[in-house]
Amino acid sequence: MEETVGPSEMIVHLGPQHPMMPGPFRLNAKLRGETIVDSEVEMGYIHKGIEKILENKTYLQGITIVDRICYLAALTNEEAYVGCVEKLAGIEVPERAQYIRVIMEEFSRLQSHILGMGEYAGFVGFVSMFMYTIRDREDIMSLMDSVTGARITHSFLRFGGVKDDLPDGFKDDVKYVFGNLRKAIDQYEELFSSDSIYKARTVGIGVLTADVAKDLGVSGPPLRATGVAFDIRRDEPYLVYDKLDFKVCTQKAGDVYARIQVRLDEMRESMYIIEQCLDQIPSGPLFPEGTAYGKRSPVMRVPAGEVFHRVEDPRGEMGFYMVSDGSDKPYRVKIRGPVYPTLQTLPPLLKGVTVADIVAIAGSMDTCTSEVDR
Amino acid sequence: MDANSIMASLTGKFPEDIYDSNIESGIRIVAKVKPQNVVEVCRYLKDELSFGHLCCEFGADYPDRNEIEVIYIIGSYDHPVILTMKALLPRENPVVESVVPVYWNANWYERETYELFGVKYLNHPNLKPLVLPQEMLGEWPLRKDYEGFPNKTAKNLV
Repeated sequence: MEETVGPSEMIVHLGPQHPMMPGPFRLNAKLRGETIVDSEVEMGYIHKGIEKILENKTYLQGITIVDRICYLAALTNEEAYVGCVEKLAGIEVPERAQYIRVIMEEFSRLQSHILGMGEYAGFVGFVSMFMYTIRDREDIMSLMDSVTGARITHSFLRFGGVKDDLPDGFKDDVKYVFGNLRKAIDQYEELFSSDSIYKARTVGIGVLTADVAKDLGVSGPPLRATGVAFDIRRDEPYLVYDKLDFKVCTQKAGDVYARIQVRLDEMRESMYIIEQCLDQIPSGPLFPEGTAYGKRSPVMRVPAGEVFHRVEDPRGEMGFYMVSDGSDKPYRVKIRGPVYPTLQTLPPLLKGVTVADIVAIAGSMDTCTSEVDR
Repeated sequence: MDANSIMASLTGKFPEDIYDSNIESGIRIVAKVKPQNVVEVCRYLKDELSFGHLCCEFGADYPDRNEIEVIYIIGSYDHPVILTMKALLPRENPVVESVVPVYWNANWYERETYELFGVKYLNHPNLKPLVLPQEMLGEWPLRKDYEGFPNKTAKNLV
């Protein structure tokens, strides 16, 4: 963005602390009247240097660090990290552990979408909706707590398996919670589609077409809202996703309303996947038999090599590139977060819209600044 | 399109520029590329082989070989193959052409690689620090010989 301003132009700085922001980043917008002429995103306010930290931690210690990339998607971050090590070391995960991972990761997606959607409703002035979603999300958090022992940063996955088995009666708990949650999601959809003010703020706003979205490198719900069925769970199946029946939710419009609708549909699909998993889950060990995995050993050496492993995060494509030199610490880890390219698309998307729509468009991307900065 | 045909097409088109290529599995191929021709190779990948999705671009430092690798992970929306392409640069003066004209979202990746590794990108539209403060420019913190972390941090904390 050019720093010079012309006649009747001015530069407005939004953030780094702004009520709409899910984390600190700054948006410098150049305005002519009410219209945005140009804008620029500045990030890095919570840069934690996780890539460097991981180079100085053993592989097992790294699991706790990658949780902190984004607390809403802690389990999918872990899956991407653990999957890298498993590919490098050639570890086969037992089937029961794979099913438990899928269940927990879908719970992670469910609670991330439900919060992202509620937050978004708050951004556009529908604050009571935010309270409803927080209420319903609490049940999911309790279910995750009963399995992993933590509400947000779980540290639940291990190389070759998972930390704990599902507790007794988990299936009945899930059945009870999902009964309420299905009703709640129908209610959200009803509220969204019947509220004329909400629709006026979202329909036809921030339209991203499929070609542009592909060109900008967007993934996840913002891309699927443009009609591109790109989902790593289906295109490059990991764990047991190829044995499960689910559809990739897409919308045609590509506007803000479509993005929220994709999240609503995906929540239903996640619940369907969890129910299938609970029906199909076989009994068996949590770690490969006859190996040391799962025993309490802080030091583990991984064969030298390089690998790129990607998973479907609640927000899109999460990938880890790991270089191992054969020691007990990774030589280089690159974290490819899904929101990083999505946040870059704000300047082109915001060109020509009014100031009031900044919040509506930026919020609909479900940005997580913690993950962008890493 | 599968990995074998992609690799045949790529090495057929650029016999000089692509070397050390290898098909790791049906969905992963790796290759090294001469740094002078990164942009041409990327344009061919995007236009002819439908590699339209730059997953990420980053650096890795190898002091023992005196090299910095710039690694491009390029995927596609149409086929599941992912190409890992590496450009090897000398550690004293790592310079490479920017791929922003081909892959728009490389903009931030290249700014980050610049401030963390000191890789200079030619023809980049806006090469300035992204995640680090301006004062840290020139320290290249993700290089292996960077002294500031963890030593300095630990001392400050203790």
